[in-house]
Amino acid sequence: MNLEIRLHGRGGQGGVTCAKILAALYVTLGKSVQTFGDYAGERSGAPVRAYTRVDDRPITNRNKVYRPDHLLVLDPTLLGDETVSGLAPGGLLLINTPDPPEAFRHRFGRFRIATIDATSIARKQGIGTRSVVIVNTTIAGAYARVVGLPREALDRAYASIHLERDLPAARAAFDAVSVGDSPAGQPAEAAVPPPDQSVYVLPLTRHAASAPTGLKTGAWRTQVPQYVEHLAPCNAWCPAGNDVVGFLQTLLHEGEEAAARVLSETQPLASVCGRVCPAPCMEGCSRRQYDGTVNIRELERWVGDHATVSRRAERAPGRVRRIAVVGSGPAGLAASYEIARHGHEATIFEAEQALGGVLRTGIPAYRLPRDVLEREIDGILDLGVEARCGVVLDAPGVASLSRKYDAVILATGLASLTALEVPGASLEGIEQGIRFLHDVNLADRPSLHGHVVVIGGGNTAIDCARSARRRGAERVTIAYRRTEQEMPAIREEIEEAQHEGVEFQLLRQPVAFHGNGRVAAVELAEVTLGDPDETGRRRPIVSERTSRLACDHVLLAAGQSADRRLLRLGDTIAEGRIHRHGSAPNLFVAGDFATGEGTVAHAIGDGRRAAGRALAALGEPATIFVRPNRAEAVPISGIHFDRFPLRPAAVGDRLPAAERVRSFAETNRGLPDAREAERCFSCGHCTQCDTCLVYCPEGIIDRTATGYAVDLNFCKGCGICVAECPRDAMEMTTS
Amino acid sequence: MSEPILGGVVHTDADRSEPLLRAGNTNCGGCGMSIALNMISRAVAERRVQIVIPACCGIVTAGPFPASAYGAPVVASTFAAAAAVATGLARVTHANNEDIRVLCFAGDGGTYDIGLAAVSAAAERNEDILFLCYDNEIYGNTGGQRSSATPFGATTTTTPTGKHVAKKDILGIMAAHRIPYAASVSMAHPEDMMRKLQRALDVRGFRFLHILSPCPTGWKSEPSEGVQLVRWAVQSGIYPVLEVVDGSLWTVNVEPDFSEDALESFLGHQGRFAGMTVTVAEVRRSVLRSWDALRARCGPPTAPAESNGVGAD
Amino acid sequence: MTMHMISANHATAAAAALAARANRSGRGFCSGVYPITPQTECIERLCAEQIPKGSVVRVESEHSAMAVCMGGALSGARTFTASSSNGLAYMAENVFAAGFYRLPIVMMAVNRTLGPPWNIWVDHGDTLMLRDSGWIQFYCEDNQEVHDTTLLAFRLAEDEEVLLPVMVCQDAFVLSHTMTMTDIPDQEAVDRFLPELRLPHRLTDTPRVVGGLDFPHQTEVHRKQHLDAMGRVPGVYARIQDEFERCFGRRPPDPVVPYRMEDADLVLVSMGTTASTVRTAVDEARARGVKAGALRLRMFRPLPERAIREHLAGRKRVAILDRDSCPGLGGIVWGELRGLAAPGAVVQNYLIGLGGGDIRPEHVRGVLDDLASRDESGEPHFMEAGA
Repeated sequence: MNLEIRLHGRGGQGGVTCAKILAALYVTLGKSVQTFGDYAGERSGAPVRAYTRVDDRPITNRNKVYRPDHLLVLDPTLLGDETVSGLAPGGLLLINTPDPPEAFRHRFGRFRIATIDATSIARKQGIGTRSVVIVNTTIAGAYARVVGLPREALDRAYASIHLERDLPAARAAFDAVSVGDSPAGQPAEAAVPPPDQSVYVLPLTRHAASAPTGLKTGAWRTQVPQYVEHLAPCNAWCPAGNDVVGFLQTLLHEGEEAAARVLSETQPLASVCGRVCPAPCMEGCSRRQYDGTVNIRELERWVGDHATVSRRAERAPGRVRRIAVVGSGPAGLAASYEIARHGHEATIFEAEQALGGVLRTGIPAYRLPRDVLEREIDGILDLGVEARCGVVLDAPGVASLSRKYDAVILATGLASLTALEVPGASLEGIEQGIRFLHDVNLADRPSLHGHVVVIGGGNTAIDCARSARRRGAERVTIAYRRTEQEMPAIREEIEEAQHEGVEFQLLRQPVAFHGNGRVAAVELAEVTLGDPDETGRRRPIVSERTSRLACDHVLLAAGQSADRRLLRLGDTIAEGRIHRHGSAPNLFVAGDFATGEGTVAHAIGDGRRAAGRALAALGEPATIFVRPNRAEAVPISGIHFDRFPLRPAAVGDRLPAAERVRSFAETNRGLPDAREAERCFSCGHCTQCDTCLVYCPEGIIDRTATGYAVDLNFCKGCGICVAECPRDAMEMTTS
Repeated sequence: MSEPILGGVVHTDADRSEPLLRAGNTNCGGCGMSIALNMISRAVAERRVQIVIPACCGIVTAGPFPASAYGAPVVASTFAAAAAVATGLARVTHANNEDIRVLCFAGDGGTYDIGLAAVSAAAERNEDILFLCYDNEIYGNTGGQRSSATPFGATTTTTPTGKHVAKKDILGIMAAHRIPYAASVSMAHPEDMMRKLQRALDVRGFRFLHILSPCPTGWKSEPSEGVQLVRWAVQSGIYPVLEVVDGSLWTVNVEPDFSEDALESFLGHQGRFAGMTVTVAEVRRSVLRSWDALRARCGPPTAPAESNGVGAD
Repeated sequence: MTMHMISANHATAAAAALAARANRSGRGFCSGVYPITPQTECIERLCAEQIPKGSVVRVESEHSAMAVCMGGALSGARTFTASSSNGLAYMAENVFAAGFYRLPIVMMAVNRTLGPPWNIWVDHGDTLMLRDSGWIQFYCEDNQEVHDTTLLAFRLAEDEEVLLPVMVCQDAFVLSHTMTMTDIPDQEAVDRFLPELRLPHRLTDTPRVVGGLDFPHQTEVHRKQHLDAMGRVPGVYARIQDEFERCFGRRPPDPVVPYRMEDADLVLVSMGTTASTVRTAVDEARARGVKAGALRLRMFRPLPERAIREHLAGRKRVAILDRDSCPGLGGIVWGELRGLAAPGAVVQNYLIGLGGGDIRPEHVRGVLDDLASRDESGEPHFMEAGA
C-alpha cells in the first residue's frame, strides 16, 4: 500500500487533526504513516491544507502531496479545479456537503465521489462554535467507511489519540456517508508540472505603492447575517392589528402626519383608542420588563389629536359593492372604514340618534370628550360612508337588508345585560350600569345622592363609579369578586377612581340586596380565589361569611352579552359569518356581537376582519386581518436592555382629583409632547442605529437607501452584528 | 441609547476615507482586534498616521508582500521593538515638521512581556507616540500560550490546568511613568472609547491605551459574543474602564455593577475558564480587592452615569 | 581640514556628526544609542554634538538603539549607532532586521570579546557573528581609517544600487581608546561628498506594510535581490574611493590591502590592527631573506573573493590569522578563505590574540616559522599571546 491523502479545509475546522485521525486509522492496520499540515498565517476560516501518507514501508518522502489518491474537502465552498488538482481519475473525493454525490457528477465525474453532511452532524453534537463548526472528527468517520475500514478501526483510532468524545459524531458519519458510482475507465492525467514561480516579486527597495490584499474572506463564511423585521410585541399584542412600533418610530422620525398615515392603514379611531383602549400593546411592551412600558396609548392619542387619522386614509377607486353595517360602535365604524377604504359603499344603520355606539353611550365624556369622537366619526363619514341613525332593526329587518345589500355586517355589540340572580335584585335603586351610563351620557340624567355601590371590576364599573361621583354621589364603593390584580379595567382608570375617592371592596360578591321596596343595603359574601380558570384568572370561591353594606343605589356592571334576537333560531356563527341550515347567507358579524372580547381595540380589529371577510366572500380583493401570534414576537432576551439608559415613562397631565369630580371635563389632558416615543425600543425593527456598522469587525456593512447592506464578498459570518443588534432586527442564517 | 451611535459618523464623509483595516484581512471572524482597529480608524479620521506593529496577529492580518490590509503606512517591527521603531519615526517626522501621529499597535505580548522595556523607555522619554495595546490575554499568533496578561484561572496551551497568578496591571505600570494620558477602553462602550481615542490622538507626548480585545479562538468563545464578553468584563469589574492624566488624576469612566450574573456570564461563556479550579466567588473577591486599590487612587464611585451602556442620550 | 589628537571612538563620532549635519537639507539625522565599553566614548561625544534636524535618542538597550535607527531610516533620515560585543549580541535580531529591511544604517562596532566570562578587550568574534546579517562589514587598522570609513560608509550604504547597512569595525582599545593625530575634514567638504539621503522605500502617507509577510517564493526572490545588492558593492566602492579622494585628497584603502606581495611565498592574512604587527614581522622576515608578504582583509562583507583569489594565486603557503574562534571549526576567517587559495597550497589557520591577547611581532614570526615548515595544512593552530 502506498497512499497519499490531501485535505482541504478552513482554519478552525481542524484539518490537521483530521489528517492525524486518518493516519491513526491506518496505524490500526499496522501501516507506516506520516501526517502534517501547511503552516502559514492560518486564521479561523482561512483555507488550509493537511496531508497524510500511508505506506507499507518507512516513508521518506518529505514533500507536500501533489498527486493525492484520496482528497477530502472539509468545506464545500473550497471545491474547485485548483482543489482537486493532481487527484488521479478514479481517485476518492470525499466532500462535506448536504448534497448527494450525484450533485457533483457533472463536474467531478472522473472521481469516485462520496458525500457526508459532517457540518450538520458536528453542529448537532456541539463540536466547535456556531460560526466555526469543527468537522474534522466527523468527516474522518465517513472516510473510514468509504475506504472500507471496519467500525472497530474507528473506535481504536479515536481512543489512540484521545478523541473518544467525538466518536459518536464519527460513528454517525460512518453510517450516513453516501458513495457515488465508480467512474468508468478514464485516461490517466498528465503529470503535474511544478508550480509556476515566474511571478515577479517587487524588490523591497521599490515597494512604494498601496495594494489591497485581494482576499475575498466571504468564502470563509458558514453563516450569513440578514436584516429581518421581527414581530414587535406591541404589534403582536394589539387586537386591532395596529403597526404600533411602526407608528411610534414614524412619529419619532417623521412626525404626526406620517405617523397618522401608518395608523390609518389599520384603524380610524386613534384619538378614541388613545383615550379608552386598555392598550394590550403596553402589556406586551418589552420596556415593561425594564423601566416601565412605553406610554403607547397616549402617544396614539397624540397622533390622533394632531392629525386626524381617518382623514389620512384614501379611498381606492373602482369596485363598488354595497354593504350594510348594523351598529356604529367601534366594530361597525372600523368595518365601514375598511369597506370605504377599499372603494366600496358602506351604509351604517344605528338605533341611536347619533353614531358611536358604546363610545357614545357607555364611555363618559371625562374619558372621551364628544368632540374628539365626532371628529373621528366625521373623518370616516367623509370617506363616503353613509349613516342612517334612529333605525332600530329586528331579525326581519336584517333579512330585508340582506336582500338589498351585497352583504350585511352585524356589529351591535353587547346589548344584552347580565342580571344578578340574587334575592332582592329587583328592588328599586338597583339598575344596570350600562343604562345609567347611557342616561348620563345621552340624557343628562338627574343627580344621584348618598352611597352608590357598583358591582363589577371592568371599565363599565369604573366608569359607573366615577360618573356617579360626578353626578352627586357622596360615596361610591366598587365591590369586586377578585382582587385589584384581576380587574379587567384599565389600570390608570382604577388609580384615578381611587384618587377621586372611590372605595373598593375586593374579594366580595353580592349574594342579596335588602330594603323595603328600595334598596338599602347589599349583602356581600367574602370570596377566596381558587385555581385559575380558562381565562387564566383565579376562580372565585364564595364563602359563607357575609357582611352588609348600607347603600342608596346599586349599579350593576357584572357583564354583558350579545343580543342574538337579530338572528334566527338555529343560526350559528363560524368564522365571523352566519350559518343557516348548512348554507352561509351574506350575513357577517363583527366586534363584541361576534366575540364578546369587550375592548375597543378588539372590536376595531374584528370590524376590519369582518369587512375583509365580506369583501372576500363577494370575490373582491381584500385581506382578512389575522391577529398576530404573540408567540412569534421578539422575546425579551432579544432586547439588550443595557444599551438603553433608564428613563421613566411620560404620562399625560391629569386634572386634580378635587376638580375632576365636579365636572365631566376630560381628566387626562394628554402628553406635553411626543418625546415619549423616544423610549420605544423598536423591537425587531431596525432603526438604523449603526450598531451593526460600528461593530462589524470587517467594516463591510454600509448604508443603503433603506437600511444597511453587508458586503458578502468579505463577511466572515462571525455574527457580531446580529448579536449586538440591540433590538433583534437581524438574524444569522445558514443558507 | 443615543442613536445613531457615535453620532452617525461611521462610513460618512466625517469618517476616514480609507479604513485603517481594510476588508480582505486574515483575522479570524469576530476578532476583537479588528473591531478595535475600526474604532481607531474612525477616531483617526483624516489625520496623517504611521503605525508600527510588532510581530503579532495584527501584522499577520496584513497579508503577504506587497499587499496590505492596512489603509495606512505600517512598519512591521520586530517583536520587542515597536516603541523604539516608533521613536525613530516620531523623531524624524517631528524634525521635518510633519503633522503625523505615530501609533504603535501591539498585542499583550508586545506590550506586557517582550516589548515592555521598550515601551517603558519610550514612555519615560515621553516620546510623541500613541501606544495602543490590544490585549487578547494570550499569545494568539502562536496558537494560544499564556502571557503576563492572561487572567487568573484561564487555561492556555502552556497553562493546561489554568494560570495560577494574576494578570499584570499594565495601566498602573504605564501610569507610574506619569505620561500625559493613559486609559483603558471598552469596545462595549463605543462613545467612551471614541472620546478616549480622540483625546489620545490629540494629546502630545506618550499616550497609552489599553484595549481588552476578545479572541474567540483563544478564549474558546462564540465569535459573535466578543463585545458582549467585554461588556460583562466591565460590568463585573474584571476590566476597569478608567483614565489617568499625568499619572496622578485617576478617573473611573464606567462604573461596574459588580454583579455575579455578569461575572458568571463572562467566565461561563468562555471555554478557557471551563477547567478553572478556582471558584467564581474567589474570582469575585479578587476583583473586589483590586477595586479597593483602584478606589484608593480614584476616589469613591461617582454617579453611575454610564453604567447602562453606550452613553446617555 | 584640521588635525586632531583623538581616539578612534571620537574620530567615529566626529564622522557621524559630519554626516548627520550633511543631511540637514534632507530629512535629518536619527540615532539610538546605548553605552557599552569600549564604545561609550563614541556615543558620549555624539550626544554632545549640535546636529540640526537631528536626534540622538538615549534608549534602554542595544535592541532599541537599532530599532530607533530603523524607525528613523524608514522615515528617511540618515542613521547611525555604535555598539560592541554582548551589546551586538543583544541587538542581533534588529541587526538582521535592518539588513532585511534594506536600510542604509551605519554602525560603528568596537570589536570586543563576547562574554561571559567578561572581558572588554579586542576580539573579532562579536561582529563576525553578524557576518550573515546582510550588512557590509569593514575592519579598520588605524584611527584615520576608522574616521574615513565611517564617512564613506554613509555614501556606500545610501547608494541606490546598494541600500544596505554598513558596519565599521575597530579593535577595542587598540583603536577605540588610542589617540593619534587624525585629519577631520570640514563640514563643507563632507557636504560635497555626502548628498542628501533619498530612501526610495521610506515611509510616506501611502498605505503599505514595510517588512510584513513573505511567502517562500517571495523570500527566495528577496534574498536573491539582497545577494545581488551585495554583489554590486565592490563596483560602487571603487567609485566612492575615487570621489573620496577627490573630496579629501586621500584614497581609502582597497577591500584587500596587499603588503610586499610581489614575490611572496609565505602570505599572512589578517584583519584590523593585527595587520600592522604582521607588516612589522614581514619586514623582519624579508630582512632575513624570507619571501613573506601580507594581505589585510579590510572588507569582510561582501567578501572580496576575486581580489583574494588574485592575490593568493600561485602562493604556496598561506597563514590565516583569526582573532576569533568558531568552536567546532577553528577560525571564521580561515573557514571562509581557505577555498580561495591556489590549488594545493597550504592554508593554515592560526587562532591568535583572542580575548585581547597582545599580538606582538615575535608571535607573528612564530607563525611564519610554523608556516614555512609545513608541507600541508593541519588542525587550526592555537596560539597564546597573553597580555
